[in-house]
Amino acid sequence: MAGILSSALNASANPKQRNEVTVSKFDCLNKKTALILFAVAEAVLGEGFLLKAPKFIETVDDFLNYQRPAQREQFLLALLIAETTFGLTIGGTFKSFSHLSIAERRKILEKLRSSKQQLRRNIYAAFVNVSASTYYSSDLTWPELGYAGVSVDHPEILNQPPPIPWRTNDPRPIEP
Amino acid sequence: MAGTIVEGRQVSENRTLTPDFCIIGSGAAGGVCALKLSEAGFDVVVLEEGPNIPKEKGPAPGQERKMLNEREVEMYKLLYQEGATRLSKNGGVKVLQGRCLGGGTAVNWSACLPPRLETLDEWQKRGLPFTRQNLEPYLREVVNYLPVVRNDKYNTSAQKFMLGCARHDIPHENLPNNTNKCRECGSCGVGCPYDRKMSGFVKWLPDAVALGATIYTDTKVDRLISSNDRISEVQAHFIDAKTRPTKRKLVVKPTKGVLLAAGAIGTPSILLRSDLNLDKRVGRYTHIHPVTITLGKYPENTFPAYGVPDNMWTPKFSTGPTGFLIETGSFYPVFSASATLQHGDELHRIMRDYYQTGAISYAHHTTGFDDKEKYGTVELDENGDPQLDYTIPKANLKPMQESLVMMTRIHLAAGATSVYIMRNPPLEVKPGDTFDEIRNINFLESQRASIFTVHVMGGCQMNKDDKRRCVNNDFTFKGKKNLWVVDASIFPTALGANPQVTIYSLALWASREICEQHQKPFKFNHQQGGELPWPGF
Repeated sequence: MAGILSSALNASANPKQRNEVTVSKFDCLNKKTALILFAVAEAVLGEGFLLKAPKFIETVDDFLNYQRPAQREQFLLALLIAETTFGLTIGGTFKSFSHLSIAERRKILEKLRSSKQQLRRNIYAAFVNVSASTYYSSDLTWPELGYAGVSVDHPEILNQPPPIPWRTNDPRPIEP
Repeated sequence: MAGTIVEGRQVSENRTLTPDFCIIGSGAAGGVCALKLSEAGFDVVVLEEGPNIPKEKGPAPGQERKMLNEREVEMYKLLYQEGATRLSKNGGVKVLQGRCLGGGTAVNWSACLPPRLETLDEWQKRGLPFTRQNLEPYLREVVNYLPVVRNDKYNTSAQKFMLGCARHDIPHENLPNNTNKCRECGSCGVGCPYDRKMSGFVKWLPDAVALGATIYTDTKVDRLISSNDRISEVQAHFIDAKTRPTKRKLVVKPTKGVLLAAGAIGTPSILLRSDLNLDKRVGRYTHIHPVTITLGKYPENTFPAYGVPDNMWTPKFSTGPTGFLIETGSFYPVFSASATLQHGDELHRIMRDYYQTGAISYAHHTTGFDDKEKYGTVELDENGDPQLDYTIPKANLKPMQESLVMMTRIHLAAGATSVYIMRNPPLEVKPGDTFDEIRNINFLESQRASIFTVHVMGGCQMNKDDKRRCVNNDFTFKGKKNLWVVDASIFPTALGANPQVTIYSLALWASREICEQHQKPFKFNHQQGGELPWPGF
């Protein structure tokens, strides 16, 4: 059922072309869903997010391989539903999700987040979880978090004194 | 003669095997049974859906597993079910489960608690044979073999928790770990690259292989074939690095039997695919420990990714049918971002504020004690893959709110300038605020807050009640003489404690039953030592 719906929505979707989306070979996404994913991620993360997460589209596409096929299908369907259903009518003309400004897309995200419908809240959670986790998996975002990276790349991390000294014998805290 | 590990992705032809026993799953239960049955002289084949984690030196000093690079997204894909994106059917609970050599033992935070005594009492009422006294040699074997140790090096999250608890006069204790000379990299949850966590692929499984066991990784079990009251065949297929079928099949025709150790979602799903549903009992009454999380923001940098993740807890709130265990942990950028339920500038602000100066505490909530409650059900989706239908039980709503209140109080007492609750939208509580908004969080509806679980139990339970029983007290599956269920799916309720040690102990017990049924020796090899490391047990 989801497959038939996806095919129909994919045929009718006409996402905004973006020069930033240069990927041409996909495992799970296609050109249209990649463009919608970009529009979603731009709404969640802000303009220019690819500067710090240049492999964003490829990372999500690869990650989808590991999902349960039915859940993967639901995520792709959610992208297509967002594009074909969640637009706004502006000046009498319907603009689909990816053709809206970032501010307008964020208004839609806000409505999804607070919806009484479980499905819409789940779509919000899926969009922000995928976008935020993929973005913050990029090394380029780590300095602003103060994250020094992983120990196999930076063994010196393990030799740094911890912010509060370990107490090897008495586990009870010492009141400062 | 030593056995071997065969990577299914490399197998280029269909294969048929005829061992004594076929064990499905290489996690906590599968590893124990593989070792003990090999030790008894049986020819054992273990089938693991996830990849091999070979022992191979990496570029970092002391790195014993090159494949384990601590990078979250890569490790989630490699080590977790569904890339760590497994969700309950309604989308409301994130279910984190291992899917690799060693299963959950490869990705857990090394926490080693014994079974909760009142849970054992409840299980006895339901006809299970386990008591505090008769479990002791099994627990002792686990404690000495791994070993289970007291690690007194506390990360910042633990230190803040200890301080906050002390100021509220809340008792708190060391939580023992199965680590050995831990390097405190903080990466237990994405696989220890240094072999300092005594996971299945460091201890049980290589010891089993040394005694002749063969392990097939990248091998997904399709179904069991029955012949009257016995299982005659296990049908499986190999999968590639991206979990896609390779088109090569494996058939195992064990001469003595099959052990199901695929975990409390995997085991029921294999039974359901095999039409062994016992009048629809299989998969029902599946339990989790729903987890609530708080992040405190402190005036100084906290380096929350590093240090021992899970070695401090309070037992104060852990009693009763809906009690909760508050523990401390580590957290990492992707894990944090995936739970934030926020977008735009606020998302980045929360990440900046709560990452570099954050400390985490979280609570595992006990469930499963109310016979009138439905709890969870493992089902098959349209592709035959498992999904967990689960809604938070009403009885847990207030405890989940109160665990957040208590953790918030502890953070604030320890000096946090604010506490972040993963509500939708995010909630920040500051000193002097009331806790009314926390007490209004509706966990019963999906995505009103981020809820995780890392412990799944039940679904194929041991029980004296015929309407619920799937597994007999000797661990045999009802109606099948040569099929044993040896993992946490036999639990009739949630455990109310981190289940690793209990699963090991019950798998030892099951191994003894199987050895005795086949007139083979079962022996304890590690009974030395005095007190167990849990003062309250």
